[in-house]
Amino acid sequence: MPITLVHPGNEKVATAATPPPRLSTLSGKKIGLLDISKPGGSHFLDRMEQLLRQSYGAADVVRVKKPTYTKNAPQAIIDQLRGMDAVIEGLAD
Amino acid sequence: MGEPTNLLSVPGYQPGKKALLVFFETDCPTCQLALPYLNSLDSTAVQVLGLSQDDETHTRAFVEQLNLKYPVNVDRGLKLTREFDPQSVPTMYLLDESGHVQSSLIGLDKAAMNTMAAALGQKTIAPLDDGTPAWKPGCGSRHLEPATQDGHGGAGDVSEESANGPLLRRIAEPASRITRRDDEDPFEYCIQKFGDALPVIPPTEAKVSAMVTASGLAAENVIARVPPVYGEATVEKIAANAVMAGCTPDMMRVLLPLVRAVCDERFNAHGVQATTHFAAPIIIVNGPVRQELGFWCKQNVFSNVARANSTVGRALQLILLNLGGGRPDGIDMSALGNSAKFSCCIAENEEENPWEPFHVDRGLQRDQSALSLFAAEPPRGVSEHTAQKGAVVLKAVCQALATVWSYRICMNHEAIVVLCPEHAKTLARDGFTKQQVRQFLFENTGVPKRLYAEKDTGEGTQLVPYYREIMIQGEPCYQKFRSAESIHIVVTGGTAGKFSAVLGSWAVGPTGSQLVTYPIPSK
Repeated sequence: MPITLVHPGNEKVATAATPPPRLSTLSGKKIGLLDISKPGGSHFLDRMEQLLRQSYGAADVVRVKKPTYTKNAPQAIIDQLRGMDAVIEGLAD
Repeated sequence: MGEPTNLLSVPGYQPGKKALLVFFETDCPTCQLALPYLNSLDSTAVQVLGLSQDDETHTRAFVEQLNLKYPVNVDRGLKLTREFDPQSVPTMYLLDESGHVQSSLIGLDKAAMNTMAAALGQKTIAPLDDGTPAWKPGCGSRHLEPATQDGHGGAGDVSEESANGPLLRRIAEPASRITRRDDEDPFEYCIQKFGDALPVIPPTEAKVSAMVTASGLAAENVIARVPPVYGEATVEKIAANAVMAGCTPDMMRVLLPLVRAVCDERFNAHGVQATTHFAAPIIIVNGPVRQELGFWCKQNVFSNVARANSTVGRALQLILLNLGGGRPDGIDMSALGNSAKFSCCIAENEEENPWEPFHVDRGLQRDQSALSLFAAEPPRGVSEHTAQKGAVVLKAVCQALATVWSYRICMNHEAIVVLCPEHAKTLARDGFTKQQVRQFLFENTGVPKRLYAEKDTGEGTQLVPYYREIMIQGEPCYQKFRSAESIHIVVTGGTAGKFSAVLGSWAVGPTGSQLVTYPIPSK
């Protein structure tokens, strides 16, 4: 006899967002750098900022930092990154 | 109360005119009785403004069904609700022309409504003989409902962050049914789809139904949303995982608060489930539920003695896997993992504890059953069989405490010290109170400064400016813990063998995971 089971898992279907078009150049672009607050993340992002400004001609580099790496970024942090042409999120350790 | 700052944002609000603000919920029976009476108030005398704590769809249906004639708006983000802070709904605030509160009415109170109408020069609006009760209390205001895992107020909260997004719902669809053919092995199917790589009991409709019935709640009630993917833990889904884990229906009274606890924002299951660290939730059970459901608290307490410990711990892990999505081959990124991720549920041996039980430290009554959750590293053993004095036992514990997280990290972590009954007995004999034990461990746990030589920089050495210097047995050290309260004491295990244990924490405090304690309802 067939057996009927109750689905024990999450049935919400996650839908992937379409990635935005890739940038053809960094020149003149606004780039956000998100520090997730892991030790050492700032070293990586400092260097990124330097490269973006000096070697790639980024129009602006906006640095924001999550209060903690253990949790999602608060809305206020995400809001600061709105309007960027691209965002680089820095991990570390 | 001054003039509410958000009042002007209410569509239809006319400054300079008396107003009656009516906070309500669409599923509150008292609101359904009370709100139609306000249609009778003459709008030239007072502007009635309904403020719904539910979403637009439910609010419009409510207005239409009750034929409300006055403007009704959704209180987005519960902003006005928070400002006025009604304890229940309906609550009505009569504001004067300058927006100041003159009086308030709570629940359905016909006499008070008529008195208010009279004060406004109106005739009776709520006849006493029309069949509805003269007085009826309402429901709790949405902003006071228990917090959900993401820190928002109750399930109906239209919080600031989600003001433009969908509401968190309290009722979900029934779980879908999966039918397997005769020739398909349901055990094999469940191992592959929903298991922890060990065989599980297939969650048949009959078994799940018995669990749901035991909970006393409707199957589709959403208890919490489980990080990190925030799957909805309905009573039915919790029951299905409980069946798989091997729980009995009477364990539902433990599982529901357990799911609430693990989804408590303070516990931060999002981080605990995704970290590269060892951390796993350890469950500590206290109170009469230990005897009622058979939670084991004697020898082998961390092992596989009792069905209650093993299956409740396992059910939590299955819920985290199946509803939270924290799969060990996916989102859970722990470098080495932790065997506690199969199951880890201990009970305190209160009968051998010379002090108050752990849940009393956490603010509950001794006869209240409770569970606590701590994101823990694997236990470090502390053997001390020959020390004659309690203080010497504690010095052995200090050495294990000093290595929590990593040996040169200080001030950042917490620990649970699991004292075996023999060690606890020695300490009590020497006159130690529990608080004195914590204080001793705090004052005598440190990392020698000589281990921080400049040529050996590493994890923790960069934080030295934040450390506190102390002397321990004549040696300059950095103090390991921030305070005595960073060290929690649990007494459990068998009465033979002088083995205690230290369980270090993951990241702690508001930016990490905090120890949470929840009451377990009595039978």
